Amino acid sequence: MAAPVSKKMEDFAAEVYPAVLGTTRKDGSVQVNPVWFEYRDGSFWINGATTRGWFKHLKRDPRVTLLLLDPRDMFRWAQVEGRMVKSADDPGGEHINRLSHRYTGRDYQNSRDGRVWVQIEPTRISGSIDGWR
Amino acid sequence: MAGAKPSVDLSPNVQRLASLPILTVVGTKRGDGAVQMNPVWFECHGGYFWLNSHTRRTWPKNVQRDGEALLLLVDPAMPDRFAQIRCRLVETIPDPKHEQIDSLARRYTGQAFRALEPGEERITLKLEPVKITGAEI
Repeated sequence: MAAPVSKKMEDFAAEVYPAVLGTTRKDGSVQVNPVWFEYRDGSFWINGATTRGWFKHLKRDPRVTLLLLDPRDMFRWAQVEGRMVKSADDPGGEHINRLSHRYTGRDYQNSRDGRVWVQIEPTRISGSIDGWR
Repeated sequence: MAGAKPSVDLSPNVQRLASLPILTVVGTKRGDGAVQMNPVWFECHGGYFWLNSHTRRTWPKNVQRDGEALLLLVDPAMPDRFAQIRCRLVETIPDPKHEQIDSLARRYTGQAFRALEPGEERITLKLEPVKITGAEI
């Protein structure tokens, strides 16, 4: 069951800052990576090369956590627990290019080959945005 | 423990990041193995990372159960530069006079920590870096 995303949370997710992605390695240890993201249609969307460790981790265990933290106000943050519900090739890098425009205001400058987009459906949201929980 | 040194030295870049009043994102594992992440105040001295928490929070319980935590430091001036620091829990130290949390509060807010909640007990977690990875670091 996808968790509902409040209006406050939607507004927070529309702001521009990197999220931190948390996955687990095969040995069970935690890995965290800063990532670009966007929120759309009830899900969080990220993009990566298929060779990235975190993508391999998600193929093995789709449980994923995203931490959203306002870099200008440390008391505004949200932890999104969720699942990778879908991933697919990003031919031509259309999705990474859209993220690039969100974050840098210009076209993506690196290789667009071998990229995938990942849809993360939230199952629980906590933190300070909807009030402390 | 006097004179003990952590097994991994911090590079000048990591030392510089650790000296900034930025939050660290602490990555731990919940009981079911899923990742939990929390933004947390920290200070770094003697080569160790020192965090503080209310004893009832989940993340310090996760750290105490597993004996480890992952700290992420991101350069606020350059988000592509970050350090991912795998740490071992060396010691959990009670902070009954809330001296360490006051020290942390001054580092981040310039003021002493807020009044404790009824029944609130604070602990200090002493973490030893054992492996550091990242980008541009």
